[in-house]
Amino acid sequence: MEFGWTADQEGFRREFLDFLRKALPQDWEELARDGPGSDVQAEFSRQFCSLLASRGWLTQHWPKEYGGQDASPWRHAILGEELWARGEPRGPQYMNVNWIGPTIMAFGSKEQKSEHLPRISRGEVLWCQGFSEPQAGSDLVALRTLAIRDGDAYVVNGTKIWTSYANHAEFCFLVVRSDPESKRHRGISVLLMPMSLSGVRIREIPSVVGERYFHEVFLSDVRVPVSCRLGAEHDGWSVVTYALQFERVGAARYARAAFTLDGLAARLAKEGRLEDPTVQEKLGRARAICEAARLLSYRVIDLRVHGQPPSADSNVARVAGTFADRVVGELGLDLFGPDAFEYGGFAESNFRLAMTAGVAVGATEVQLNLIAQRFLGLPQE
Amino acid sequence: MDFELSDDQRAIVEAVESLLAQHAGPKRAIELFANGQYDFALEAALDEAGFLEIALAGETGPLEAALCVEAVARAAGAIAMGGSTLVAPGVAGRTLPGPVALTTAAGSAIVRFGAHARTLLIADPKAGVARVVALAPGDAEPVRSNFGYPMGRIAPGLQASGETLAEGSHERLFAWWRVALATEAAGTMRSALGVTTDYLKQRRQFGRSIASFQAVQHRLAECAVMVEGARWLALEAAWRGAPVEAAATAAAYAAAAAERVFLETHQLSGAIGYTREHDLHVFSMRLEALRLELGGIASHQRALARARWGGAA
Repeated sequence: MEFGWTADQEGFRREFLDFLRKALPQDWEELARDGPGSDVQAEFSRQFCSLLASRGWLTQHWPKEYGGQDASPWRHAILGEELWARGEPRGPQYMNVNWIGPTIMAFGSKEQKSEHLPRISRGEVLWCQGFSEPQAGSDLVALRTLAIRDGDAYVVNGTKIWTSYANHAEFCFLVVRSDPESKRHRGISVLLMPMSLSGVRIREIPSVVGERYFHEVFLSDVRVPVSCRLGAEHDGWSVVTYALQFERVGAARYARAAFTLDGLAARLAKEGRLEDPTVQEKLGRARAICEAARLLSYRVIDLRVHGQPPSADSNVARVAGTFADRVVGELGLDLFGPDAFEYGGFAESNFRLAMTAGVAVGATEVQLNLIAQRFLGLPQE
Repeated sequence: MDFELSDDQRAIVEAVESLLAQHAGPKRAIELFANGQYDFALEAALDEAGFLEIALAGETGPLEAALCVEAVARAAGAIAMGGSTLVAPGVAGRTLPGPVALTTAAGSAIVRFGAHARTLLIADPKAGVARVVALAPGDAEPVRSNFGYPMGRIAPGLQASGETLAEGSHERLFAWWRVALATEAAGTMRSALGVTTDYLKQRRQFGRSIASFQAVQHRLAECAVMVEGARWLALEAAWRGAPVEAAATAAAYAAAAAERVFLETHQLSGAIGYTREHDLHVFSMRLEALRLELGGIASHQRALARARWGGAA
């Protein structure tokens, strides 16, 4: 056990921060205020990720045969930490490199790998994820979107919801029920669906979180070639479980929260408010919560480095990240009061983007169930 | 970065645990506590095996010392392990005659392990130093307390006395003290939570195990997140040599977690949790003592904020 960075890791962080200072536009903070799904950020992600790819950094943690460098997961974690801290300039592409690519590596056919992995690795393709449905949110296995086999295609009908990035994405990681008679975990399949197919319709759901944050995706008689199916037919749940293990900690929310907290403190310093013991206590409390989330996330990366199977530690990290996001989001409003009412301000933007923390990627309550059962060994209800 | 114990570290922890299996545990803690006793037998056994000097042993350092402190706390050892193995070496650069108790110049005269300590380390931020006092019989008297550790009241004037250590040493004392109490809290919380989950699994009401209720599970799961977080923060701060900010972070988080774990474990355990016939109190009452030490949660939070962002004390 030791908690140090190697010279290579420290060097990489320095080099990367140096790169970011030049690669991000002056008004980046302003551009990022609507979140990674906004038009401007999705667009920016294409040039930014290509730039990362040209440096060999975008998928450095991938195996060499798939366009990576077999770099340690720690290097990828450092990159993710610094990017999330700044509002994720990779836009939706963080999903590609964190879990869509790795899941294709694990379950994809030769053709699927050569179609998708090089494009992801070059940073030139946007994806969205088709998981939630109007009647299947936290209870994902209640999903009803049907994919009925018809010759060399599945005919897909159903609705996906809360789909971030749907309006920009070229592909959807789509979870469907391929066996209409099946229930729950059985009879599910995963399709790598091109969004350009006819019968795909997208509606933006206006929200208080930010522009282009949520969408509904309507699928009406969409013919998805069977060659787009990832993994075995009706066995898609094992694909989904695999993907979720990566997704739960892929987003370094603690880094975003900690970075924002530093920003709040800098603003308080300008106003001469850092001498106030109450302000110090609130900042200190929030910082400690961010730091705990950082180490719990590192623990998950460490388990991966040690080749351990995915465990409930990822749920622990996810809940800790949610605590961090929440405490900093609320604190910004507390400290700046009505000044934070104006849309697009520092505290306001962060509050808005932080408030989905306990719901996005699986409600906190579901994470707590998993911790209770798998981490504490408590009996199922 | 490596969160798994090395072979050497595992051997150390296992050796300490095997001593603790013979000399400590909740049952023994309850017996000793009934008479306000200090566990000199446990301390002697750990000393003989060299574990009290582990922070200074060359091959090992403060992380290994913290792992030992954590193990002792998990087993409710009634000794000043944190003061002796983490704080004294961190502040004085050498071991001091144990038990080592910790206080501040302006702090309360009631001190954990005060009546049994041979050495008192005093932080005096006004003078900008830490001081060492060799305690003589009569310098402190036992205080009857419900808070899990043997407590003592230091004689008037003692907190203003002592041999002065280097300029600024009070900061080192604060930092190592925070790391020590965070580590002790982490180990103590783990056992409090363990006792509670074990009990709730077997306790049946409404025809089912209490631990199967989701309302109960979520609260235990949130505690588990905090206990894990507190542990890694404490161990990281120890490994890094107790930088002011990391030490305050570990203490702020652990003290807040201790408050929560105390409330939840007692609420969920029901009436049995208040009795001396059930093990929860051995750990839970200690959590309250740790939570209040060194100015409590707010003082750790302020120290953290000042170390990170500046601002006056």
